[in-house]
Amino acid sequence: MAMPVVDADLLAKELYSLLGPKRVSIGDTDRDTYARDMWPRMLLARRAGQPEKHRPTAIVWPEDVSEVVAIVKLALRLRVPIIPYGGGSGVCGGVVPLYGGITIDTKRMQALRSVHNDELICDVEAGLGGERFERELARRGFTFGHFPSSIYCSTVGGWLATRAAGQLSTKYGKVEDRVAGLTVVTGRGEVIETDGPNRALRGPNWTQLIVGSEGTLGIITSARLRVAPAPQITIYRGYEVDNVNDGIAAIRRVLQRGLRPAVIRLYDELDTLINSFSHKTEDDNVREDQRVHELHRHAPQPTRATGALPTWPTPPPAPDGVLDRLRLFAKNRVGNLRKDAMLSGLGHAATFNRLADAVSSKVTKRGCRLIIGLEGSRIRTEVEAALTFAELEAAGARDMGEQPGLSWLSHRYAVSYRMSPMFRDGAFVDTMEVASRWDNLPELYQAVRTAISRHAVVMAHFSHAYADGCSIYFTFAATAPADNLPAAERLYDAIWQDGLAAATRVGGTISHHHGVGLLKAAHMANEHREAMAIYRATKASLDPAGIMNPGKMGLEAHIADASIPVRSQTPTDAPARFPLDEAKP
Amino acid sequence: MSEKLYAQLIATVGADFVSPIADTSGNFAAALASDFYRVVPRTPAEVAEVMTLCARHRVPVHPEGSGRRPSPHSRDRDRVFVSTRRLDQIVQLDETSLLVHAQAGVTGTRLQEILAPRHLTLGDYPPAVLAPSLGGIIAVRTPGKSSARHGFFEDAVVGVSAVLADGRTVHTRVAPRRATGPDLLRALCGSEGTIGFITSAVVRIHRQPEARFASAYVVPSIEAAIAAVYLALREEAAPSGIRIYDLAETAAHFRGMPIVDQVAGKSKNGALMVVGTAGPTDLAACDRDLVASAVSAEGGETADDDAATLWWRRLHHGESTPAAPPTFQAMATPRKLAATYHAVLNAASAAGGAARAHISRFDADGAVAFFSVEREGKPLPADATAPHDVALIELCKRAATDAGGWLPGSRAARLDPYFAALRANLDPLGIMNPGALPE
Ligand SMILES: Cc1cc2nc3c(=O)[nH]c(=O)nc-3n(C[C@H](O)[C@H](O)[C@H](O)COP(=O)(O)OP(=O)(O)OC[C@H]3O[C@@H](n4cnc5c(N)ncnc54)[C@H](O)[C@@H]3O)c2cc1C
Repeated sequence: MAMPVVDADLLAKELYSLLGPKRVSIGDTDRDTYARDMWPRMLLARRAGQPEKHRPTAIVWPEDVSEVVAIVKLALRLRVPIIPYGGGSGVCGGVVPLYGGITIDTKRMQALRSVHNDELICDVEAGLGGERFERELARRGFTFGHFPSSIYCSTVGGWLATRAAGQLSTKYGKVEDRVAGLTVVTGRGEVIETDGPNRALRGPNWTQLIVGSEGTLGIITSARLRVAPAPQITIYRGYEVDNVNDGIAAIRRVLQRGLRPAVIRLYDELDTLINSFSHKTEDDNVREDQRVHELHRHAPQPTRATGALPTWPTPPPAPDGVLDRLRLFAKNRVGNLRKDAMLSGLGHAATFNRLADAVSSKVTKRGCRLIIGLEGSRIRTEVEAALTFAELEAAGARDMGEQPGLSWLSHRYAVSYRMSPMFRDGAFVDTMEVASRWDNLPELYQAVRTAISRHAVVMAHFSHAYADGCSIYFTFAATAPADNLPAAERLYDAIWQDGLAAATRVGGTISHHHGVGLLKAAHMANEHREAMAIYRATKASLDPAGIMNPGKMGLEAHIADASIPVRSQTPTDAPARFPLDEAKP
Repeated sequence: MSEKLYAQLIATVGADFVSPIADTSGNFAAALASDFYRVVPRTPAEVAEVMTLCARHRVPVHPEGSGRRPSPHSRDRDRVFVSTRRLDQIVQLDETSLLVHAQAGVTGTRLQEILAPRHLTLGDYPPAVLAPSLGGIIAVRTPGKSSARHGFFEDAVVGVSAVLADGRTVHTRVAPRRATGPDLLRALCGSEGTIGFITSAVVRIHRQPEARFASAYVVPSIEAAIAAVYLALREEAAPSGIRIYDLAETAAHFRGMPIVDQVAGKSKNGALMVVGTAGPTDLAACDRDLVASAVSAEGGETADDDAATLWWRRLHHGESTPAAPPTFQAMATPRKLAATYHAVLNAASAAGGAARAHISRFDADGAVAFFSVEREGKPLPADATAPHDVALIELCKRAATDAGGWLPGSRAARLDPYFAALRANLDPLGIMNPGALPE
């Protein structure tokens, strides 16, 4: 299909006529800003001072669904891609405009239109930011129960588009478990609504076919989401188990007994070790890293009184995020090593991982930490808490009291603000969230950990538990000097290639909640195999012209073949399907 | 049918498992003009081979579950009916993850029998819901397949293997949750064999509960009963079953029992509510108490639990009920439930008939009302044929939908063009169960 070459000025003129000049931009700063999300691989390039490779031709800020329809119709006429953009907090390159085109920022569609008390359903526009959404609901006595670490910088539409998970998902479910209907502008430029009681309707479940499609089928403009009454009580606790496998067994017992704690997190040995260091020395840490604390001023934290909802704190809380702990651990605790020592540690990942294995069991002497929290209606939560704690103890877990749980609760958004220091110090950090059934969860843990630890320092925690399985969240860090970008990218790609291949090999899924975007596009064929035919057919149905977020999710075979698409798919070597950027470099 | 296809089908599944289907109308001329064959493959690979052959010969394929009803399809062309009867294997029972992988021909009832000695269960679904083959349960969506404790049956399906129109087999990968694009198996569930032929499925199972309680309540009205249910659900009670009977329905189901007078004595709009709770003993008792206090907040009171235990035995242990099966069912969201109920009752009485109902299969989406429509005191069967009976039933159904209820078999009609395109893309020859869903 040959695409006409579209001139950026012409496109802008057309867009002005739809939205007026104020809600359209072709300015360089905006085009740079909207060129990427929070995908760490792109942050490496940014740190190395590389100009953005793929920029949108124009950015627009529609205010309602009819404007979105008009923009999509224009894009159809001119044959230019559309890239939906929520908060830009995605970590997989989902918003990268591989072929240029129109980036639609949804954030001016941000009304919480209604909350139906009797049906516990709200109607909300896709561009509403997570924190504001929760606050608005809290004011009315409800919660959506979705608390991703990125709650300050992600949108409702972005959550739905990526099948996101909040920290309390064990009780409230992932976002896809709480959606009753969607309003979507499809790639045909039509509005569809997928509402209706699913069990009374025949045919495919369109809601579940569109949720998770990361902008490749259409733009979600609003959604009907299930809310819950705001919790009456919250109960938090810490436990210790001898090792990861015992912890896994304990969690499984709880979930399979039909109990639903809001949060249950098991840290592996290294994660527990780092945890225990940072907890012991909170005061020291506060003094030792003022720079991070400055960042905290902009990072409202939850308090016990507000439960899951963040409040603006004074004074700022102590550093506790995984990355920070890693830094402080390397920097201050192990014989006062300094930055270069940390980097050297990260640079010899395999050795470090082996050492850490030996050290962690000796130093902690206690095994692995497990955090558990329950919330909800008073009476039932109390009964459920008693049963849950009894079950954990029956599984051999040792009660450490309330403090570890509360400590987790009060620092649980901190990690989001600590990536930059790692990058500045010449390292990088990323996370890989896989999942599987309980049956092969230990195998999945070992396989992925072994695969990553060849290249990077790696630790993990188990969270987002279900009766039939659990997710594992690996955090890995490695050195990547800013002056050698190709080497850094090679290392980064190798970690992902090996980690995801290991996950697939042992029967796990390659993503529990971060999505696919560009990062995992090449692995989609292995993930879904022949079932990709159903995704492609759905794509052909909703977006026959192929204008919706092209190049993502492994839908195009040539993208799926490349191990890491961005590097091999510059606009010039890609088939000239969307030749916009070539026309206007 | 071409001799070649016939021979190839026999070569694939064996001569014993390819049989002509007689025209039940006895119209032999029509039967001669086209061939209907039933093919009974033993493995998913054989299903794939049959699909490939039929695609090559452009012959439609109609999946058949455990039922062997005469086919309603017109004799305008050759057709192959592929029965899942011999796809009867349990592929894997994963007691660690509480998942069972079974082939499409295994009935839900059979699965329950296999699970029971291991203290496992598919969930608190009435046996009637589980009677069909697994493939049928998943492929055909009806609103009754839900339970307050275990949710909509389809949501328990975590993986499906299916054969597409071109003979390709897809296996959706099993994970508790994932974020790798659309949930592709949701295209297969409820699509009645038009997207793929389901050969097996992985389904969540549960441990049998440690304790069960059944309690009965007398409530002043249907509205009060519905309000009590949602009050209890909001307090996070998760009953294993809830049913509300209006007064007439109570009389029909519990004839001769004291509960009938108790409900009648409560108010002329009085209703009976029976609730089962299950789980760890403390939690099951807690749920029971939450329901009881919700009921009392709505002006109801606890009654003798005889009616409740009888209801449970009838629902789950095959004890017979004196009432005839309901005439039709309608699903409604919590807000529309009472309105739907009253609309049907009013419509029936305005037309000189009567209606009564029980409401059941509650979940967050709503519940299902089972209506018995009566003429001159006689309940009408679902398949009534007398024109004035049919008209009365239609009137009641229309009243239900006008009040915001949904009849089984509704479609999101505005999405039809998208469904047609999805089908056309996967099945350009149109051989996947044509006629099952609108094309
Ligand atoms: C510090 C940090 C912490 C994080 N923590 C979590 C976490 O706890 N849990 C979690 O699940 N994720 C987490 N993430 C990842 C990220 O926040 C989620 O993927 C989030 O759902 C993305 O939302 P967004 O609005 O930022 O979407 P964007 O990044 O703007 O977009 C993501 C994808 O969705 C598409 N899209 C966006 N809006 C729409 C729409 N309205 N219609 C159609 N398509 C759309 C985009 O095209 C893109 O492909 C974290 C990220 C960071 C940086």
